[in-house]
Amino acid sequence: MTDFLAYSFVQRALVTGLLLGVMCAVLSFFVVIRRMAFVGVGLSHAALGGVAVGLVLGLPPLVSAALFTVGVAWVVGWLRGRAEVSEDTAIGVFFPTSMALGVILISVTPAYRQDLMAYLFGNILSVRPDEVLPLAVLCVVGLGLIGMYFKELLFLGVDEEAARAAGLPAGRLRFLLLTLLAVTIVAAVRLVGIVLVSAFLVIPAATGQAVARSLGTMLVTAVVSALVSVVVGLWLSWSWNLPSGAAIVLVSAVLFFLALARGRRRAA
Amino acid sequence: MRVSTPSTEPGSDATRETPAVLMEDVSASYDGHPALEAVSFRVPEGSFAALIGPNGAGKSTCLRLLLGLTRPTKGRVEVFGRPPLADKADGVGYVPQKVTIPRGLPISVLDIVLMGRTALLGAGHRPKRVDREMARNALDQVGLADMAARRFQDLSGGQQQRVLIARALCSHPRLLLMDEPTAGLDSAARARFYALVCDLQHARGLTLLCATHDLDVVGDHADVLILLDRSVRAQGAPSDILQEGALSGAYRFPRPHVHPGHEPGDGGAS
Repeated sequence: MTDFLAYSFVQRALVTGLLLGVMCAVLSFFVVIRRMAFVGVGLSHAALGGVAVGLVLGLPPLVSAALFTVGVAWVVGWLRGRAEVSEDTAIGVFFPTSMALGVILISVTPAYRQDLMAYLFGNILSVRPDEVLPLAVLCVVGLGLIGMYFKELLFLGVDEEAARAAGLPAGRLRFLLLTLLAVTIVAAVRLVGIVLVSAFLVIPAATGQAVARSLGTMLVTAVVSALVSVVVGLWLSWSWNLPSGAAIVLVSAVLFFLALARGRRRAA
Repeated sequence: MRVSTPSTEPGSDATRETPAVLMEDVSASYDGHPALEAVSFRVPEGSFAALIGPNGAGKSTCLRLLLGLTRPTKGRVEVFGRPPLADKADGVGYVPQKVTIPRGLPISVLDIVLMGRTALLGAGHRPKRVDREMARNALDQVGLADMAARRFQDLSGGQQQRVLIARALCSHPRLLLMDEPTAGLDSAARARFYALVCDLQHARGLTLLCATHDLDVVGDHADVLILLDRSVRAQGAPSDILQEGALSGAYRFPRPHVHPGHEPGDGGAS
């Protein structure tokens, strides 16, 4: 383990992974409460379209992906407020379309196929020094916003109509959550990749829910399980030369099943 | 039977006293389909009014208008003499039909009741001890003082509705709007529910407006029934409204089931 921590690229990966782990875990709390798992899957797929646009146009792929994914999230949020299209349908149409756009763009520019694999499955061990600070700022700002509007987002997640009747700005809060989700998904692409990032937006909270007896404990358990997943997953990845994103998500899934087993034993 | 409409004549009693709820010639629609047409009624402060009528009659639309969640296409909507504002809770509490919590979510009864303080606290402010005391007091008033730490999902349907009332009470409302709050409850639980809200009405001077299908129970408790079928078909005392002729016109069936205490009369709908 000491050897593992001696390398600067591992240290960077750990710092980045832990920050993103906390952010994903906290967001997963609201994803589970608001039953938004499908939105997480859809947004992560939309991110591929944004990455592809960036690669083809010569823009920083994560920046273009962030702009693209936030834009798609806003369109879906806007459509949700209208009667013509349900949120499920909007996601089902927009997100695979974005991914298809990404696949087409990358297929006509073969030089980028290698890059595509890194975005699809993530490689946090390749995080550059200049990427750490922006990710840290993103996580601090995101967590600050969630902390500020925590009880409002909770009320909205549990009973949207009553929250609106109580005078909460439901529309603005929904856009805030969608925006944070979109930006975090794009940032976490470095951690676990487009294919697996949606798992990291559900499993930590599901782990917390399986064992916790209060919302506070659920949130803390979600964060701790995400942190453990990042550390153990990275160590496994470094030790056995495994893909880092897949290793992190698998550790996260193991923790979930352990929590589920413990929760069931306690309930029995 | 008596069928009243709101008086707007200058100098009349009705214009001198500001009612808790005023709907005057209100029309509303969803996607071009009319939901309400020229609806007029008023609910005096401190009284219990029930909105009755068949599915699609516009009962929930009336409540949404009063909560500021929907805008009328025509007419005047006022709560305590002011237009309702969706972004500002102003003495209005809301009790929905039910709350569907994701299965297994460890949310406690106290967590749910504290939500009633959310809008009043404002962003960035966590509930303090005084807010928790208010929430516990509200639970005490609905007879669930010892259930604050229980999981909301472990409660019966009737107990969950009481929790939702406690949540509404937590914001110290003067008007309680309830949208079919007893849907899914058995008859004993429904009777207990109405007895509780009437006790609260008298103890706290609350005004109650309840959309309901409970024709067999609500007449024993409400001061006024408003029979709605897109427009107001009749309004008045329960003994006048719960008559065969008045109800059958709106419900479109020959003999609705009413409480045995309310014998069908010979009056007709509007």
